[in-house]
Amino acid sequence: MARVSLTGLTKRYGAVRAVNGLTLDIRDREFFVLLGPTGAGKSTTLRCIAGLDQPEEGDIAIAGTRVNDWSAAQRDVALVFQQYSLYPNYTVRENLAFPLKSKLRNLSPQRIEERVAKAAATVRITHLLDRRTDRLSGGEMQRVSIGRAIVREPRVFLMDEPLSNLDAKLRELLRAELKGLQQRLETTLIFVTHDQVEAMTMGDRIGVVNKGELIQVGTPDEIYNAPKNTFVASFVGAPAINLFDVSLDLAAGTARDGALGFALEAGTRARLGELPVPGDRCVRVGVRPEDVKLVAEGGIGGTIYGAEHHGVEIIAIIQVGSHMLRATIPADSNVTVNQPVQFSFTQDRLHFFDPHTGERLSRR
Amino acid sequence: MADIQIIDADKHFGTNHVIRKLNLQIRHGEFVVLLGPSGCGKTTTLRALAGLESIDSGEIRIGGRRVDQLPPQERDTAFVFQLYSLYPHLTAFDNIAFPLRAAGKPDAEVREAVTAVAKVLRIDHLLKKRPSGLSGGDMQRVTIGRALVRRPAAMLMDEPIGALDAKLREEMRAELRRLHLENDSTTVYVTHDQVEAMSMADKIGVMNDGVLQQYDSPTKVYDEPANLFVAQFVGSPIMNVVDCTIASTAQGTGLRLPGMGDAVMLGPRASAKLQGGTGAADALMLGIRPEAIAVSRAPVAGAIAAHVHLVEPMGAYDIVDIATGAGGENGTTLRARTASQFVRAQGDPVWLSLDDARTHFFNKRSGELLRAAA
Repeated sequence: MARVSLTGLTKRYGAVRAVNGLTLDIRDREFFVLLGPTGAGKSTTLRCIAGLDQPEEGDIAIAGTRVNDWSAAQRDVALVFQQYSLYPNYTVRENLAFPLKSKLRNLSPQRIEERVAKAAATVRITHLLDRRTDRLSGGEMQRVSIGRAIVREPRVFLMDEPLSNLDAKLRELLRAELKGLQQRLETTLIFVTHDQVEAMTMGDRIGVVNKGELIQVGTPDEIYNAPKNTFVASFVGAPAINLFDVSLDLAAGTARDGALGFALEAGTRARLGELPVPGDRCVRVGVRPEDVKLVAEGGIGGTIYGAEHHGVEIIAIIQVGSHMLRATIPADSNVTVNQPVQFSFTQDRLHFFDPHTGERLSRR
Repeated sequence: MADIQIIDADKHFGTNHVIRKLNLQIRHGEFVVLLGPSGCGKTTTLRALAGLESIDSGEIRIGGRRVDQLPPQERDTAFVFQLYSLYPHLTAFDNIAFPLRAAGKPDAEVREAVTAVAKVLRIDHLLKKRPSGLSGGDMQRVTIGRALVRRPAAMLMDEPIGALDAKLREEMRAELRRLHLENDSTTVYVTHDQVEAMSMADKIGVMNDGVLQQYDSPTKVYDEPANLFVAQFVGSPIMNVVDCTIASTAQGTGLRLPGMGDAVMLGPRASAKLQGGTGAADALMLGIRPEAIAVSRAPVAGAIAAHVHLVEPMGAYDIVDIATGAGGENGTTLRARTASQFVRAQGDPVWLSLDDARTHFFNKRSGELLRAAA
């Protein structure tokens, strides 16, 4: 049982509110990702949970018990950092055994040996146990760091960008491993990252933070398909979502801004009719690149500004007046720069935001 | 503007052989990306072109002129670094104008050239600001403007957008590519990011350990990687590379992966690659990109029976880890790319079909790609 509850958590550094009144409930055995740009307050939140930082306001509860006044050691959580904080002159085995040798634990040497062996097998470093840690590759070192967290059998794992220093290939590999590991260990894991791909692929739920505030909590599906505001919409997804403002004429069934104009399908009109559209009839449209399709005729006219061949697909950049829209199209499409094209949107996947506040328009 | 030739270049740092017999022909107006992991020799190559490093042996020619013995200022190249190296006390205008003024150009000419470059880079409204008042992206635009304004024979860029955030990088990629098309400048661009290389280059030179692994168009590098290193460095998710055994039967060429039951029959194009004869006696590895594996939820005759191990949602699509047979230590795990939420739960049975044309084989020992006999 290791639910983690934060209530009104506030942490200041001088005049800066690094974390501002954050309230969040992380479920038992959940893989929870805190996602946000640099300076969002996500690492500070993690450090408060770990007991490395003291919040000025708010409560931190682990498994239903308030732990604000507990020391880091008493909280029974394990922290893994971006930098591998291993003892360089010791073997992997000694590094793993180290947290178990504490007098508080009072474990027999045999019991320690068993737990080290088990943890090593879990992160697949058994063959490295007698190697010194300064002889390991980056990926191996990070596995040892995770192994050293596992061996303690903590109630909660806290990880702060543990994959950021690794190369792309290794990151991809460890992402899948880490998710598999968390499912096997059945432990609560709180993972901090600025990388939306890591958040989407690993998280059971994601908490998006910006400037010390929690913006949205949801499953990857909810975050991607129903972003709460334009910040979340453009922070998650690559290539980034297209955002542009249009004036609506619901009677005529059109949306337009300069050269970019399109007819609203019946379903879209009905949907907009139920949304609290601002008084000036102006909305910010969000459309993901995979929901922009090139069509032979009857679409919106534009010109190819650029075409990025990514192998698996092409990202076409379409210029329409002052707008640049990105479309993900099949790898075998034939597009060349300056070519006139027509395109349309998958309208049931359009997002609508208030252009003044950036908030998602949703039925009241 | 000019073509660039690197002929048999070698470079050591002490006992470290950082560039090994490098040969590279860059045509006038081409955008070439040198791609590789840190320490592969790509930045040293770029610095050797600029004259910031010497080479031990070999030749470098720019516009037909041998330059490897010339000091940097006589090579007519412009260098853009990852970190904006702007003069903090000068406005954007004065930063861009700096190289022209240093060359003693008249004021009217300077103004005209700076304005023209600023317009292309869409920073004409920012010219009066100092660097401290600019965003990261705009600072890098000013840096690029300062390089472009001299109309150098070659533009050399060292991870120029590596320090920007993801969204800005995406925008700058398109702008740099567009700028290149409009200026027709011969450009050599260094990065470790395969997405940048794929999206901007006319040609990619993939480097590893000081050796040029492949020099081809992005499409060719992606669709026909010369060896295992290139295959796994380019593309995300990474190409699947797994052990396999081949058995010729009366029905044709059969493929077996560890942990798999019956062999599956390969199509004509994949079979032809095996008939090419390259290292037929050596162990082989199957290479297949995640999008070249078709996943079915219903049994398909001749497909590989497997089950879902892990689903990674990407929003626009899913990456699914699929285990054949027993999976785990004794089986084989393949990654496939599917539509969002195509497979639901771990353990669900699925059937995999490999795209014939996109099925690759590599010699396990040499790492080389097997090609069909011409």
